[in-house]
Amino acid sequence: MAIATSLLQVSPSDAELVQRVRQGDLDAYGLLMTRYRLRFGRYAYHLLGDESDAEEALQDAFTLAYRSLERCRHPERFAAWLFRILVNRCRTLATRRGRREARRAPIEAADAVGVAHPAERHMHHEEIHRGLARLVPEQREAFLLKYVEELSYEEMAELTGAGESALKMRVKRACERLRGLLGDPHAT
Amino acid sequence: MRPDDGLDPEQHAFLERLAAPLRTPVELSERVERTVLARLRADERPARGWPFRPLAAAAMAAGIAAAFAGGVLVGRRSAVPAAPDRGAHTVEFALRTAADSAVTLVGDFNDWDPRATPLHPGAGGVWTVTVPLRPGRYRYTFIVDGTRWRRDPAAPRALEDDFGTPTSVITVAQR
Repeated sequence: MAIATSLLQVSPSDAELVQRVRQGDLDAYGLLMTRYRLRFGRYAYHLLGDESDAEEALQDAFTLAYRSLERCRHPERFAAWLFRILVNRCRTLATRRGRREARRAPIEAADAVGVAHPAERHMHHEEIHRGLARLVPEQREAFLLKYVEELSYEEMAELTGAGESALKMRVKRACERLRGLLGDPHAT
Repeated sequence: MRPDDGLDPEQHAFLERLAAPLRTPVELSERVERTVLARLRADERPARGWPFRPLAAAAMAAGIAAAFAGGVLVGRRSAVPAAPDRGAHTVEFALRTAADSAVTLVGDFNDWDPRATPLHPGAGGVWTVTVPLRPGRYRYTFIVDGTRWRRDPAAPRALEDDFGTPTSVITVAQR
């Protein structure tokens, strides 16, 4: 119990950290960045399909967020605010650069998949990424937000500025395209 | 997750199988924080890190002077400090370009969101948009047809172009 209490004491909330940053504590921003590098790295990596591009997107998002921090009106919702910036930054990078055909090897953490469902063995990480690379960025974004980040369509609409019906259509198109590209061993 | 997107159960199951291995956390290198902290610490040393550029300095000074005189020169247009938000100036951004479909403005004032601030086409291929800005320094650029980044040719280039993109800067002065 003592350990748990101690851990709680050294884990300040986002709102507390934002407050400290606003008072000039740059180390507090370092803590926020570590927290969200771990949480949001997945989205950037899968959307951009490349570790160094994902790192660049996160760096840009963190820098932009810091410079705009006074406009974060709800510090307790810092995560959602930051994620929006990251999604926009990833979209811009994806559009600007396209997706590299020659992919680097997936990073170790991404490779260490705990395969809980036997069916997943049919679909390797590398193969999935190759399929995602063939989607237009809007479809890839919609698929990742819906199925990997597990957001609702309402949340996705708020995040992306697109309408819910458009987002549903993008997911549907992504599904059709991916099934065509990757095949579905379970399809009847 | 319940399928609420019009997919049939088979399609939904397919996407679930695809997504499951992607939900594993991805731990990017902590050089992300190190790079950003270095960038921010460099920002906190204002004059030292900025090489003197006579043209940019002159242009920025001109902008500040114009603001004091009642308008801020931006692109090809000027704007007046008549803002709905107390303390904000109404700034008109303009770009002459042969865009096919769209021009948008991204910058520090809209989280670099390419959907937030579209420009409106006008005569002679000039696209414009009006934005309320509080006094401060903002970096910005235009995106033409969703893919081409265009710096504002009539504004100073941002000295710390840290994203490798063509970026301009505007300084909105206090009234």
